[in-house]
Amino acid sequence: MGIAAGTAATRLSRRRLTWRRAAGGAVPYGLVLPVVAALAAVLGYPVYKLVRLSFQHYGLFELIRHSGQDVGLANYGSVLHDPVFWHTLLRTVIFTIANVGLTMGIGTLLALLLVRVSGWVRILLTAGLVLVWSMPQVVAVQVWQWMTNSQNGVVNYVLTELHVGNYFQHDWYTTTFSELALVTTLIVWGALPFVAITLYAALAQVPRDLVEAAEVDGARAWRIFLDVTLPILRPVLLILTSLSIIWDFGVFTQPFLLIGQGHIYPSNYLMGIYLFEEGYVNSDFGRGAAISILMLVVVAAMSVFYVRRMVRIGDVE
Amino acid sequence: MKRRTIVALGLAVVLAAALTAATSGATKKAAASSLTVWLQVDAQTGWPNLVAAANQQFQHDHPGWTVNVQYQNWSDHLQKFNATLAANTVPDVIEMGNTEMTQYMAAGAFAPLDKTQFDNSANWLKGLAKSGQYGGKTYGVPYYAGSRVATYRTDLFKKAGIKKLPATLNQLTADAKKLAPLGGGKGFSPIYFGGEDWYVAMAFVYDYGGEIAHTYKGKWVGSLDSPQAIAGLTAYKNFFLATDKAGKTNDSTNPNPYDVYAQGKAGVIVGPSWYTCCVGAKYKATTAQFVLPGHVAGKPMPGFLGGSDLAVPATSPNKALAADWIKDFTSTQSEQGLRAKGNIPNATNLLGNSVNERAASRSWFVPTAKHWVDVENGNILKNMLGQILTGNLSVKQAAKSASDNITSVLNQP
Amino acid sequence: MRRGRAARAGWNVVGLVLFGVMVFPVFWMVSTAFKPADDVNSFTPTWIPTHPTLRHFRDAIHRPYFWTDVENSLIIVGVTVGFAIVISFFAAIALAKYRFTGRKLFIVLMIGVQMLPAVGLVIPLYVVLVRYHLANALTGVIITYMTFALPFSVWTLRGFIVGIPKDLEEAAMVDGSTRLGAFVRILLPLMAPGLVATSVFAFITSWNEYVFARVLLNDQAKQTVTVWLSYFLGTGRETDWGALMAASSLTAIPVVVFFLLVQRRITFGLTAGAVKA
Repeated sequence: MGIAAGTAATRLSRRRLTWRRAAGGAVPYGLVLPVVAALAAVLGYPVYKLVRLSFQHYGLFELIRHSGQDVGLANYGSVLHDPVFWHTLLRTVIFTIANVGLTMGIGTLLALLLVRVSGWVRILLTAGLVLVWSMPQVVAVQVWQWMTNSQNGVVNYVLTELHVGNYFQHDWYTTTFSELALVTTLIVWGALPFVAITLYAALAQVPRDLVEAAEVDGARAWRIFLDVTLPILRPVLLILTSLSIIWDFGVFTQPFLLIGQGHIYPSNYLMGIYLFEEGYVNSDFGRGAAISILMLVVVAAMSVFYVRRMVRIGDVE
Repeated sequence: MKRRTIVALGLAVVLAAALTAATSGATKKAAASSLTVWLQVDAQTGWPNLVAAANQQFQHDHPGWTVNVQYQNWSDHLQKFNATLAANTVPDVIEMGNTEMTQYMAAGAFAPLDKTQFDNSANWLKGLAKSGQYGGKTYGVPYYAGSRVATYRTDLFKKAGIKKLPATLNQLTADAKKLAPLGGGKGFSPIYFGGEDWYVAMAFVYDYGGEIAHTYKGKWVGSLDSPQAIAGLTAYKNFFLATDKAGKTNDSTNPNPYDVYAQGKAGVIVGPSWYTCCVGAKYKATTAQFVLPGHVAGKPMPGFLGGSDLAVPATSPNKALAADWIKDFTSTQSEQGLRAKGNIPNATNLLGNSVNERAASRSWFVPTAKHWVDVENGNILKNMLGQILTGNLSVKQAAKSASDNITSVLNQP
Repeated sequence: MRRGRAARAGWNVVGLVLFGVMVFPVFWMVSTAFKPADDVNSFTPTWIPTHPTLRHFRDAIHRPYFWTDVENSLIIVGVTVGFAIVISFFAAIALAKYRFTGRKLFIVLMIGVQMLPAVGLVIPLYVVLVRYHLANALTGVIITYMTFALPFSVWTLRGFIVGIPKDLEEAAMVDGSTRLGAFVRILLPLMAPGLVATSVFAFITSWNEYVFARVLLNDQAKQTVTVWLSYFLGTGRETDWGALMAASSLTAIPVVVFFLLVQRRITFGLTAGAVKA
């Protein structure tokens, strides 16, 4: 590896982390105030109410009378003692890891591809990604159902025509694995545009001259990626991963609509569906609130690694 | 100096947002002399003229008042309703599915109504009327209903030499066997309905004298394991296996039976009468309907009376006016208008002779229990049917398990 | 040189194949919008409609309140994205450039808020907005959407700011400009890609948002186009799939237009980042 690229890279990584921060007096608070004010005004009461509800028995009856019965930790107890909760939790954690892994992996590759293609292919590909991104979820689910329909779905038709196997009238919705795999394809497909485009935007920040200098010195693409590109991408990768974990863990609309209310059983629940079925469908708002808080705790635990790194980045003084 | 600009900018943004919020001309409550009515979007696309007529009548009787009809979706109108209950911004009239009523009546969401002020109330269809009653009081006014009928290919029946429509279940099974070879190959089902279409399956249970659940000494008891119910379920299993090539775990969607029919892959489909909308241009001319026969000649298969009620939320400030609007919308004339659109009107004296209405002469309805919604959402019936049809459990075992399940769910506090 | 061009051509092929695979469901949606009703659910898939019809588009547009609701969506989303980007940009700068107590707490708050399942917040939020007299009003929806867009935007923009190489700012300051001047002149253009990505995300999320818009808006004249779309599926009877696909295809247009307008800013940063060594 060339010396020039090496020192450039180290200079870069060392300097980037040492922002000198001003003690700006009132200025930072003024800049941050609108966000805090908006959040407090709009979400303050709902969040408080959600927490409060988790400690109450609160159904339709109580909703109409605007007052619930305080039951302490009974809601939490009932959820934590429910074996369905634990099975669903495990299933959802595995599901989240699979989805986030696939999304981030393929998304990164897509972003790198976007840099390497010609201008017109790039515009075509990004416009295509935005089209995918902009499709309403219910419509995307419906298209997926058409494609995977056992009677007339195009997936069965194509697989049979390509002689991959006999998929004539194959029902994709009979096993939990098959159902969740389909949901995964739908979710990853829908999530790729955001990851790919954001990473592509981040790649645009990588100074061209550094990359070129390293290339001229004969460094392999892989090394360039690790030493030059990745350090710059790191914050954005952390952001995207942490957000993906949050979204994929709590996903509801796609699996619920794709699998269909009639085929949803405790054996293929995901946490978002569990929350809906155990809380809101039965109008048991107290229980729903408790499950929401528990989900928050789990997601926080799953993403703490990424969040901590994100907080620390840009912090070294 | 630049810093001050930033701070000023920041504060300006906050102020701007606050100002917009404060001065926006929106109010959540319309003017006092406006009645808010929630109807499902079916009314907007199906019979907007009847809505307009009712509004006109109402405005004529109550000068100075306007009617604000807001259309809702079946999938989330309850969530919206819950939000308005929490914020005290309830509509004055709300359309509720008849299976949705009990949960809300038990919670005290609706105001009691005086039955006698509505047209034909003495003759309300029993199945519909029951869904609006709780604790001896009336909370819901029957709006309209639909039953289940058989939609069939007249040309195939002709080809098969079936001269008379089947009068018993056995005859229908025999007719199905005659239809089987006429379908033109793979994927044709003489009779098509999803294996887990519990609306069809439970009709068999009721036809044999069984029921889903009943009350005994104030508690609910699941009755699918009674000898009559088991006889019905066995008849259903035999009928399905003999005549139906649909998926054993399919319900009434994915695919829709009418789509299968439109592709020429079904001789008869079972479902609501409006299925004729979508049979496709090819078969439109050779499609007709008949009432599904029961196992005893002369007694049709009991049809599930799915329908809607109209209720007045208890916290509405215009309860008397709301009841008046409902009266206008369910008047004899309005109901006859609904009937003309292919629905079943709410009273027996208004019933005509269409296939849909004849199917309603013998009807069944789900137990009017507060937690019936949980039975449906828990897919207890569908699960049972799937196990019966796939042979995983015997009819007796599946029925017993479902029955016990239903007992525990319905008896929740 | 030739190797470079061959490699590029190779990547182009890969790109086009991926384009085909990714966009296939969208293609299916659009192609269905042009299919005559009988072909929509046919058993043998029709790839390209043999007798395309514009009937579904006509049916869709003629449903009540289409144009009004599109207008509402454009207003709501436009204002939301505009305000949210500006406000969150200020906050992101504060986080990246200044030391102040509560900084870490604020950062954690930005990600923490996003961990709450939204379904539990719908009803209490409606109650709050009713109290502010903002229910059934575009402003109420704007404020709600902004509140959900802000944490995400701050969180992401901060990441982009932090990723900017430090020597670029120092090089600018060598020219004698003030800190802030350097920041605005050199780094703001570098921030463009991040601002673009964040604004597109905020645009799309707000455009497609359904639950809150449904609960907060009552009058059809005030609803968003996503709520308008839901009426196709909300009936107890048959769904007009052709019209729904046509309508969805139409509602995707503003999003794509917005993206095409802002996407040029992404490449801009590539050249602006180069600093003569």
